[in-house]
Amino acid sequence: MKYFNIETIAIGTGFLLILLGIWAILTQKNLIKIVIGFSIFDVGLHTVLVSIAYIKERTAPILDEAVSPADAIKKIVDPVPQALVLTAIVIGLGVTALMLAYVLKMHKEKGTLEIRNFNDLKW
Amino acid sequence: MISPLHIISIALGVAFALGFTKKLKSDIAGGIMLAAVGMLTFISAQWALAFYSGGQEVTQIYTAGFKPPFSINLQIGRAEAFIILMINFIGLLGGLYLFKTLVKQGRNAIAVYLILLMGLNVIVLTQDVFNLFVFLEVQSIATAGLIVLEKKNNSVSSGFKYMIATGIIAGFLLLGIVFGYYFSGSLNMQDFFTANMTATKGGAVAVFLILSAILLELKPFPANGWALDVYQSVKPGLSAMLSAASATAVLFVLAKIAPMGNAQSYHLFMILGVVTFVGSNLLGIKQKNAQRLLGYSSVGQIGLIVAIIGMSPMLGEKTTFIAITILLSHYLAKAGLFWLAGIIKAENIKDWSLLRKKPFLLVLFGTFVFTLIGFPPFPSFFGKWELIMQLSAGGQNIWIIAILAGSFFEGVYLFKWLGYAIKLDIPTHSENSKEEKNGILSSIDFKIELHKIIPVAIVGILTYLFGYYSSTFVEGGENMFKFFIPLFFLAVIFFLDFLPNRVLTAIAIIGMSYYGYSFLPALYETDLMRFIFGAIFIVGGILTLIAGFAYDGKRKGFHSAALIMFAGLGGIIQAETMLEFFFSWELMTLGSYILIIRGKRSMPHGYSYMLFSVGGAYLILAGFGFAFAQNGISLEAIKGLTVNAHLIYTILAIGFMTKTASLGLHIWLPGAHGEAESDVSPMVSAILLKAGVFGLVILFLAMGAEATTYESIFYVLGWLGAITALVGNVAASLQEDAKKLLAYSSIGQLGYILFGFAIMTQLGWLSGFTYSINHFLFKAVLFLTMGAVVLRVGTHKMYEMGGLIKKMPFAFIAVLIGIITLAGIPPLSGFAGKWLFYNAIIAKGWYFQGTVVFLAGTIAFLYCYRIIHSVFLGQLKDNHRNVKEISVWFIIPIYILIIGIMVFSAKPDLILQPIGDYITTYFPSNALKWTGTMASTDLGYWDGNWIMMIIGIMFALIFLWLYLLNRKATKVKQFNIVYSTERPFRPETTHVSYNMFAGYNKAMGLLVAPFITGFWNNVSEFVKGIADYTRKIYNGNGQTYALHIIMYMVVMYLMIFD
Repeated sequence: MKYFNIETIAIGTGFLLILLGIWAILTQKNLIKIVIGFSIFDVGLHTVLVSIAYIKERTAPILDEAVSPADAIKKIVDPVPQALVLTAIVIGLGVTALMLAYVLKMHKEKGTLEIRNFNDLKW
Repeated sequence: MISPLHIISIALGVAFALGFTKKLKSDIAGGIMLAAVGMLTFISAQWALAFYSGGQEVTQIYTAGFKPPFSINLQIGRAEAFIILMINFIGLLGGLYLFKTLVKQGRNAIAVYLILLMGLNVIVLTQDVFNLFVFLEVQSIATAGLIVLEKKNNSVSSGFKYMIATGIIAGFLLLGIVFGYYFSGSLNMQDFFTANMTATKGGAVAVFLILSAILLELKPFPANGWALDVYQSVKPGLSAMLSAASATAVLFVLAKIAPMGNAQSYHLFMILGVVTFVGSNLLGIKQKNAQRLLGYSSVGQIGLIVAIIGMSPMLGEKTTFIAITILLSHYLAKAGLFWLAGIIKAENIKDWSLLRKKPFLLVLFGTFVFTLIGFPPFPSFFGKWELIMQLSAGGQNIWIIAILAGSFFEGVYLFKWLGYAIKLDIPTHSENSKEEKNGILSSIDFKIELHKIIPVAIVGILTYLFGYYSSTFVEGGENMFKFFIPLFFLAVIFFLDFLPNRVLTAIAIIGMSYYGYSFLPALYETDLMRFIFGAIFIVGGILTLIAGFAYDGKRKGFHSAALIMFAGLGGIIQAETMLEFFFSWELMTLGSYILIIRGKRSMPHGYSYMLFSVGGAYLILAGFGFAFAQNGISLEAIKGLTVNAHLIYTILAIGFMTKTASLGLHIWLPGAHGEAESDVSPMVSAILLKAGVFGLVILFLAMGAEATTYESIFYVLGWLGAITALVGNVAASLQEDAKKLLAYSSIGQLGYILFGFAIMTQLGWLSGFTYSINHFLFKAVLFLTMGAVVLRVGTHKMYEMGGLIKKMPFAFIAVLIGIITLAGIPPLSGFAGKWLFYNAIIAKGWYFQGTVVFLAGTIAFLYCYRIIHSVFLGQLKDNHRNVKEISVWFIIPIYILIIGIMVFSAKPDLILQPIGDYITTYFPSNALKWTGTMASTDLGYWDGNWIMMIIGIMFALIFLWLYLLNRKATKVKQFNIVYSTERPFRPETTHVSYNMFAGYNKAMGLLVAPFITGFWNNVSEFVKGIADYTRKIYNGNGQTYALHIIMYMVVMYLMIFD
């Protein structure tokens, strides 16, 4: 039962999501589905980030009644990756939005969402 | 001093503020943007200056009131200050260039442009890995944002590919950073370095993810299809920013974080960088689209710099100099080239001949091309030199070969492109009818917009300034200043190019005379061998320049090109270090290329000349590198090599033989010399070929005269010389084109010279020198005369000439004297050469080779006869009834040279005796004795003066007798001929001059079958085939590109961890 603890499951899920995302990016033919693939890839990354910071039986790094500043160091998980995840989520949002803007423009240009119709430049 | 934090605050503040000012006109917004970028440039310049003038310490800027690792810190040191100055400066110029585009796209585009620059600044300055990730993403998103605002076809889909690629790369980077944090407990780079993460497997994977992500951002071959599409499809102004600014920043990041890894990761950078450099340049060969070609070139150059970063443990303290010079050259040239692409808007490289409408743009284009390839006086020349020297000192021969091969491939496409720009017809309306229908006249004409020209001109001028500045840092370049003096003069000539030809020619002659005066007289005392070659170069140069007076009007670029070549020729004589020699050698190549390609049909010939020259130069460079590793930087270093001496000497010999056009390396010569302008042919034939001879002479002297160690090399070279002589002469006999005949004859003559020197005895060397001097004299006479004749009659074909003796008696006498010297008939100096030659051959015992050479000498009579017979004797052609004597400006130098021939013939001891004394130091066995004008060897004696007199008297007697006979002769009118009542279809083909030696052609034509040309053609087709096949991996699909990236990571992973 050693492997069935919360952090192993979380990090395993994270990597699974990363692989799933890459699979989608590489195989899906529809532009929107590729963008969704990116979102899944991102979520996987974020899950891995959070689960790396997890320390057994500790709580979120938020100072309130439950956690006083004095004993925070013993009670909370590593706060740095948690903060990083926030930034990463924001960046991921920006990237997704921009990609969707691209998809919109590409659809306007050719009236299709199939990626194989956008191979004009090559060699 | 303004804190670099204000770079962020200004860029970010202005960008946000622009978002809130809806009523602001966008051109005012553009002005504000330029002012903001100007401030960024000012701040970075201030720091760079402080570091440059010394005393400034590396400064840390802490944020949020904590010290790292609890906060993000920025660091500005010498390198950071310099790099952000580069970024902001190109940002300023690029902003000016893109001004109208950005203003048209509106305030959003302007804001995004500022954000892009800010992102680049921060990734250079930051010391925090997560911050690095964030701002890498900021610059990616800003770039993608600028792409999506484009209205051009395909730019959107290529932007999407860009997003896919950078998205995946950023994901891996983030993963690496988090694992790095897990293992080091910090996000600060310094902590990453000290944590020694590569010791554990997990830490090593973290470092691998980070380093490989940054490497992938630099578009390594072959995982770079996405970048090529972007370079091709977006506005050139943006491509320039990507290639110059973004790549510079990310390259710096790679160098900054490289210490995370271990020796193995440096090694990997080196391998992958070189693979990128070679692969990308190879694939560029088949490319026709200008912007995509520049993309290939960018990827290649960036790969080279990655390789240099990877080599830094090996290169030591030289790394910075090498990396900076090559980076700076890439940065300036690529920005300039992309901007040029945006100005002339010609997609196909063949349409770049449009540049000729604005010659100063053509000059800038040439400047950038030569900067990229690494010609002097540009910074990359010194960088590449130092790189090869240091690699050689480190024994990294395989990398030297690879880097030179990559550079050569780059030369293949860049010189093709330059040739197109210089020579192809300017496209006209009718040829581009398809585009006219779309209402796009862009590729037919282009507008000159000042805000686009100024940035290009500025980076163009900077290439020269930095070039000079770089030279002062190289070992062996401490005294280079005197090699730059002729270039300053040249700059003046260049800016006076608007003056009429005759004025400029006069200035050029004065300059040349002073140049010769400045070093030749001193050389006479110290080094006779160099003096003789120097005199051939400089005096010959002045004489051939005189012929230039014959041209009316303007000759754009002629004088600058000729003077570059002569500056190089003078330089190789004066060079004391290998660097100075190679610098001058390349300068000479550059000038002669421009001279040669000026001819009407010279484009392909100039191109093949350049490829052989560049290939030869790289062999010389490699040879010098190997010599440097053993004996240091002095030109004397090629003496007394101990390791791999045979190989190094062979490499150097082949390198020099590309310039002497020895068999196998000769195919460029006939076209290059034959199609050149009338006064250029003698320059490149009589004079320039001697540079190769000079190279061989110093090489042979270095190999040691009396030593038998290298007997085998000289034996091979001897045979090569003999066969070259034979083939050159046979081919010359079968030409219809007068100038091609003379060109092939040069190949033959240079074969004799090679043969003479390869004998390696005193007599052999004397004959070599005699042939060199003779060839200079008579080939200058012949080429000048025939060139002048061609200018008058308007054809090169000999069967279209005839009977010109009466119209051009001066030309006739000159050619007669020329061919008598050439053929080695007494009394002229050619005979002296032959006499010494056969003495040397017999003394050496090279009988078989001697037979071949003798046969070649006999065949030389065939073409000598032909040129005098077909051109000057027989009937005058109808359309030449009104031709005049050749121009007096040709007659003057021709007859000065003839006086030279006469003096050398009558008093050969004047020159040969001192030469004999000179080479006695190398060949102590003094085989030739002089008593007055009489020379004697063990085999016999010869007195030039007596022979001259005897033959003179005989000639006078026969002439008198013929004159008396001739008075009784009946004169026949030209059309007093009957063709059996038929008129031939092409009358000239019935003339004996046409295909004169058809019979010999049947007998010996096999010898000159163009199988060597065929061989080189096959080589070139093979390389092109590989390039064309391989580039199919870039199939245009974003998913394939993503797959390339992932596969690339997998391969790297296996290389490291397996």
